[in-house]
Amino acid sequence: MIGSKILLVDDEEIFANNMAKLLENRQYKVTAVYNGESAISALEDDKFDVVVLDLKMPGMDGLATLKQIKQLGLLTETLLLTGHGSIDAAVEAIRLGAYDFLTKPCEIDDLVEKIEGAWRKKDDAWKIDMEGKLKKLVESPSSVFDLFD
Amino acid sequence: MTQYSESRKQAHYSRLFRRFIFLTMICSLVPLLFAGWAINIHYSRFARERTMNTLCTRVDYHRKIIELFLKENRDRLDFIARTHSKSSLVEEGQLTQILENVNRDSWILTDIGIIDDTGEHLAYVGPFDLIDKNYSETIWFGEVMEKGIYTSDMFMGFRKVPHFVMAVARHENGRCWILRATVNTDRFRSLVENIRLGKTGDIYLVNSQGLYQTSLGSGGEMMTPAPGFDGIAHPHSKPECYETTGRGGDQRIVCETWLEDPRWLLVASQGKAELFKEVRYANRASLVYLHLSALIILIVTILITRHMVSVIKKRDLEVECMNLQLMHAGKMASIGELSAGVAHEINNPLAIIMTERQLLLDTEQRARITDEVFRKQFEDSLNQINIQARRCKHITRSLLRFARRTRSDIETVDVNQFIKEVIDLMEREAKSDGIKFVALLEATLPSILSDPSQLQQVFLNIINNAIEAHEEKACGVITITTASAKDQSGIVVTVEDTGTGIQNSDMGKIFDPFFTTKPPGRGTGLGLSICYSIVKQLGGLIHVESEAGKGAAFILELPLTPPEERVKKG
Repeated sequence: MIGSKILLVDDEEIFANNMAKLLENRQYKVTAVYNGESAISALEDDKFDVVVLDLKMPGMDGLATLKQIKQLGLLTETLLLTGHGSIDAAVEAIRLGAYDFLTKPCEIDDLVEKIEGAWRKKDDAWKIDMEGKLKKLVESPSSVFDLFD
Repeated sequence: MTQYSESRKQAHYSRLFRRFIFLTMICSLVPLLFAGWAINIHYSRFARERTMNTLCTRVDYHRKIIELFLKENRDRLDFIARTHSKSSLVEEGQLTQILENVNRDSWILTDIGIIDDTGEHLAYVGPFDLIDKNYSETIWFGEVMEKGIYTSDMFMGFRKVPHFVMAVARHENGRCWILRATVNTDRFRSLVENIRLGKTGDIYLVNSQGLYQTSLGSGGEMMTPAPGFDGIAHPHSKPECYETTGRGGDQRIVCETWLEDPRWLLVASQGKAELFKEVRYANRASLVYLHLSALIILIVTILITRHMVSVIKKRDLEVECMNLQLMHAGKMASIGELSAGVAHEINNPLAIIMTERQLLLDTEQRARITDEVFRKQFEDSLNQINIQARRCKHITRSLLRFARRTRSDIETVDVNQFIKEVIDLMEREAKSDGIKFVALLEATLPSILSDPSQLQQVFLNIINNAIEAHEEKACGVITITTASAKDQSGIVVTVEDTGTGIQNSDMGKIFDPFFTTKPPGRGTGLGLSICYSIVKQLGGLIHVESEAGKGAAFILELPLTPPEERVKKG
């Protein structure tokens, strides 16, 4: 979806920057960070539709970051970038609640396709969430403030 | 496996063999022979003593018979002398009557006579004309006058034939008279001379002067001196046994005992060889049995030892094979780790190259490039970068897959896909040798449960061999065929090459550990044996068909599921 906000997390700065440019070329709003900790603080500061997370990073790795993201309880979907040899870790990531994974190096078109899929899922979740809140509003108008949480 | 270490191993087993034999000998044969010989020697000595004792007992028995005979006759004379007066005995016919009575049952006395104290014959009955003979000068007359009763040695006397007499002196009215009788010499001699002691035995009597009192079967007339007789050195009543050298130079056992009266020596001698024949026979038989037992133990020891050493050899070979397999597995694992590291390191720059290309492509689309030649070259280059980057990606993926497979796991394997990957890995090497791969893969081939890393090892090994089989040929084809088994229980993979093939004589040994046709140092001879054990562990079969010079085909039959214990392990 044009204008979707993407958080790109990869310790390889050149790769992260290049990817960000490529996605921006495709009309996404991209923020690139280079480690898990920065990703968490970025997520705390701003809202993102999709997080693209590298699995293998020094310090806080992809799985640990994913766990923290899930703890934040944000309305966001996560895509994992993995090497071919760490399929097991990717499977673990999906179990933890990631949307999907891609093996590195990947084609930009494949990434875009997955991002779109993730966005749709996030959007569906947002719609359900909203519907619930609206229903609540109809039932008890005092919960109008919840909409702005 | 070099010839040097092979010969060293052989020497080691020979040494082991010899040591086992030596120890078993020390532990079994030495005690057996020691005990056997000791028992044999002891038994021989015992048996000899028994034999000699038996001879002594016999001699003593005969002594008693002879003594009894002599005593009986002496007592008879004594009885006659005591129950008759001189006057009654000299009466006409009286002595004749007595002689007849005495000789009624057997002819014991040859003659009988009465002699007065001057040595004159008062009466005489017998075959000789002795009535006018005077005996005052004879030895026996003196002895009987002195002792009262006397038995003489053998002597010739007036009749000039060997004989011996018994005499009893009696006192009557202050005067002395003598009853004298000659014992039937033949009767007496038969008592001694009829005794038989085997074929070489002699038994005879010798008087105290060493003269034969009876004749010998083996030569030695009566009254002649007995050789080697040294007189009455130690008269003994108990029989004495000793060994001596006979006249013919043969060893003889002699047993002798003295008679009470007269002092005659009863001598029995027998050839030692004959006397101890039974002992010697038993002795030899026991030694034969002993050595036969030793020989049997020796043979059995050799056979058992040979078997044991061959079992040890086999175990050693198995251990060695297992060690090499472990080493190989370890090597594969470290290669796997290395490959994974390299692949990861290459993946990152590769990812950047791919994004850079994409950026260029994005930029190109937005920019307006008027130079057509540049645009064409630019696009061609980007295209080539894409192709080469994909190729790199493919290689790193293969490496990572390989790395993953160095772990032992049972998982679903799409064999067709698997074969393609293996071909990918090997293609470059094969191409440089002028070898082409042909894959005839059955489209509907079912997936199987197996260990991909081990299968990979098997296929890499077989394909490597197939490539090496083309060394002498300029080009060749390796055809890999997959098909379902006829009974649908598994799949069949055939790897066929157009190489040099396998000699008929080698067909039976091809899967044996350490069998190799490569020159020393170039092949361990383990590749196919490892393949064989892996395929067997996975519940499959591997066999080979070949025609020398035309190529070989390895046929692998793999089950849909591996044996249960493998699944549990996996």
